[in-house]
Amino acid sequence: MSLPGQLRSARLQLLLRLLLGLVFVYASLDKIADPPGFARAVYLWQVLGPVPANVVAVTLPWIELLAGLLLLAGVWRRDAALVVAALLVVFIAAATLVLARGIDVEDCGCTSVALAAGTDAEGPWPQAWTRGVGWFLITRNVVLLAAALVVSFVEVRGRTDAPSPA
Amino acid sequence: MRAAVVTGVGAACGLVWNAASGRGFDLGRSVFVQSGDELVTAAEARARLDAGALFLDARPRDFWRMSRIPGAVALPEDEFESAFAEVEPLLRRTSNVVVYCSGFGCEASHVVARKLRERGFPAVILDEGLPAWEDAGYPVDQESRS
Repeated sequence: MSLPGQLRSARLQLLLRLLLGLVFVYASLDKIADPPGFARAVYLWQVLGPVPANVVAVTLPWIELLAGLLLLAGVWRRDAALVVAALLVVFIAAATLVLARGIDVEDCGCTSVALAAGTDAEGPWPQAWTRGVGWFLITRNVVLLAAALVVSFVEVRGRTDAPSPA
Repeated sequence: MRAAVVTGVGAACGLVWNAASGRGFDLGRSVFVQSGDELVTAAEARARLDAGALFLDARPRDFWRMSRIPGAVALPEDEFESAFAEVEPLLRRTSNVVVYCSGFGCEASHVVARKLRERGFPAVILDEGLPAWEDAGYPVDQESRS
């Protein structure tokens, strides 16, 4: 089977959809539980001023949660994947900017705000995953972006639903 | 269109959650600002410097060595307890104290100002720290210090 053919596989699409859904739902929960803690994490990136960073800190986790739940449920899956892809593009651009400016962000706040809030709590994931803005984070987000683009733009074999027109 | 709906509904949920959940915060100011914190602009800080204020640099000591507001003394947040002993005699000579760190992403100046307040030494915080000072065109010392 050719690569485009494999990408159209219903099983692969299901796997990618569930992976993205789980990652984004998980990533949203801690941020939703502690909005000021996540705002601290956003400040560390020094990409936005305090007030825009505050707005991002309270709205972004809910967009992640909603898109993640839709992906898990398989409802509006291609549109939800498009939202996730757009978020990942923004995350990659912001991380690249942080690296280019030489800003040392020890805790990206990606999935947990505990470290940004000043505690050393260990989460269930390796610290390299949750901490630090660097090439690991960018690479991870590029992989997730590829998955989101596949779910959003590659038609599942036997299905014809497309993202709704903008 | 649906992607915009997902984004809009998500953002609305976030704003409602922030306003109504009891876990939210004031979106109009830095989350670092707490009750009792007093912020001053770079211009106000400059006026205080001209009036002989004591400036305290809350960043790690290496950053203070590299560049600092003229006359600023190091009081790093990460070594507050040991550094406080060195600074305390200076604090006893003035009530005009300004603390700063490296900008809006830095909480150290707020933490240091609170610790000073707890010890009976009120201090104001330079809003947005050293970058705001530099952006205003005010001088910075850059010679090496030990």
